[in-house]
Amino acid sequence: MAEITFSGVTKVFAGNVTAVDNLDLHVADGEFMVLVGPSGCGKTTALRMLAGLEEISSGTLSIGGRVVNHVLPKDRDVAMVFQNYALYPHMTVAQNMGFALKIRGESKSEVERKVKEAAAILRLGDYLDRRPRALSGGQRQRVAMGRAIVRSPQAFLMDEPLSNLDAQLRVEMRVEIARIQRLLGVATVYVTHDQIEAMTMGDRVAVMRGGQLQQVAPPQALYDRPANEFVAGFMGSPPMNLVRARTSPSQGRVGLAVGDQRLDVPGAYGASHDLPREEGAEVVLGVRPEDIVVVGSDAGGPTLKTRVERREALGAEILVHLSVADAGAASSVAYDEDVAVARPTTLVARMAPQARVEVGDVLMVRLNDERLHFFDGSCGVTLRRGDA
Amino acid sequence: MSVDTAPVPADTPVDRRARARRVGRGALFLVMVGVAVVMLYPFWVMIVDSLKSENQFLSGHGFSWASWRTLTSTIPIAQEVVSSTIICAVSILLILLVGLPAGFAFAKLKFRASGVIFLAIVSAMMVPLQAILMPEFVNITRLGLTGGYTGAVLVYAALGTPFSVFLFATYFRGVPDELIEAGIVDGLGYVGALWRLVVPVAIPAIATVTVLQFIQIWDDLLVGLLFIQNTSERPITVGLAVLAAGRTTSIPALMAGSLVSALPAMIVYLIFQRYLVKGLTMGIDR
Repeated sequence: MAEITFSGVTKVFAGNVTAVDNLDLHVADGEFMVLVGPSGCGKTTALRMLAGLEEISSGTLSIGGRVVNHVLPKDRDVAMVFQNYALYPHMTVAQNMGFALKIRGESKSEVERKVKEAAAILRLGDYLDRRPRALSGGQRQRVAMGRAIVRSPQAFLMDEPLSNLDAQLRVEMRVEIARIQRLLGVATVYVTHDQIEAMTMGDRVAVMRGGQLQQVAPPQALYDRPANEFVAGFMGSPPMNLVRARTSPSQGRVGLAVGDQRLDVPGAYGASHDLPREEGAEVVLGVRPEDIVVVGSDAGGPTLKTRVERREALGAEILVHLSVADAGAASSVAYDEDVAVARPTTLVARMAPQARVEVGDVLMVRLNDERLHFFDGSCGVTLRRGDA
Repeated sequence: MSVDTAPVPADTPVDRRARARRVGRGALFLVMVGVAVVMLYPFWVMIVDSLKSENQFLSGHGFSWASWRTLTSTIPIAQEVVSSTIICAVSILLILLVGLPAGFAFAKLKFRASGVIFLAIVSAMMVPLQAILMPEFVNITRLGLTGGYTGAVLVYAALGTPFSVFLFATYFRGVPDELIEAGIVDGLGYVGALWRLVVPVAIPAIATVTVLQFIQIWDDLLVGLLFIQNTSERPITVGLAVLAAGRTTSIPALMAGSLVSALPAMIVYLIFQRYLVKGLTMGIDR
């Protein structure tokens, strides 16, 4: 077992396409690190460089303190689980799992013992003589895991291993993979575009965009303290509401103008955030859907007048899409993959299913004044002190 | 006496479709029987005529083993079958040994000018044997290989390799990269990945190359006639040509010889036919 370090790792493909740009990332021994980001953000390329399947253009990559830039994949002592499992179709489950050990020259009895041990962990004991085509998706996925764990490698590399499974099985396997990783305590780099997987599985999550690392943090910290509006918009389902607003100070207090509406910002944010003091500076206000509540018209604090545009009942909750009244030229920020796009100023609020809200209702909503986020209007970086 | 006057239920659309399907299948069956008759008739003629003497063949009555005795006494048929088998086996082995790695390289490895080189190799498929026969003969003669099997085997291998490279490259493009990468991470090199992971899943393509090349080489007369000058090593097609080139040609003996010549190709085809269809249609459903 070992730690993994990317130091200024860059990958430039033919045609001068930079897939990974100066990546600095440290994965501790036994840590479960999730690389997450939209398609084309460089997460899979980073993983493939780690596996030795892609050459590194510049920088240093080390596993267990050993620089592996020019080390062949077979000599890196890492095991990889692929998106489509990549099981050897002409071999049985046992042969698939024992193949790497056989190549390594381990004795037949040793291979059998390790395969049986892994099969017991993965509950595959009854399927060892079957070929991959006779297995279900979940069983194939477990065989792919088994092939990795029998080797007792220094690190597990997993490239979207759950993306081919149906929703229910994905939830089961999510738990299963996390369980096995914790049981074995092997450093794991797990690539996914699914932020729910990232939030539920990783000890830490590294968010990537356009080849660049945006933030590395434990899942809850990433959710609570996003480093920029991209991370804020990417993590969470539905994502954080990001509204473009302009500063509107009044009587020494910071306020925000969202269209023609004024939003009071609690004074505490002045101490913890670098909010612009001048009139009319653009900032992006972030608020999670669960931090929006319907209140009476006379409620104080950061409130906005809105109109219900859409109502999505999900059983355990309802998602209410609200358009901000008198929004004028204000807009919302949304991310289409990794590109920021301006949308009409809407908010999505998460409410209890009992909430009596109908399309067309005009509501006064209050934003949880302890959980507001502010980002720079031009570069999108958080205005929270110490986090930028 | 009462008469049941209940109306006969009219055909439902489902009934009509089922009847149309039955009629369609019946018609298809008849067409297939017709095609089978056309295909099998020559074999039937060969079998029947090979079981007649010269006189019985002319009169159209009676059966005997006379033509088979004539065949075995006129040409060394068994030895020629062995020669044909050796030539086929070694040629196909060479074609596979070159075609498999070359096809793998073109399909899975990135190297400079691979597209142009691939195109050049594949375009060699379009050059007819007759066009390059004389230059090949000159080359093989200069190498002193016109006596036995070697010259012919080299010519057959050279002629069959472009097709095999094309077929294998096409097939291997359909093999997921992850399969090879999984092998590489597991500890194989590219050569190991080819022989231990890719070749086992390429059985349909290998069978296709084997069957098509076997039929082509086994049935070929020209190369055998030109490049194999030792009579003890000549293949069965040359033997049959000798049989047909006599002052008087015994049709029943020729039919017996043709039957011996045709059977191995049929057997090879029947053994591999289930892979052949898969090998030839690969990529169609993608």
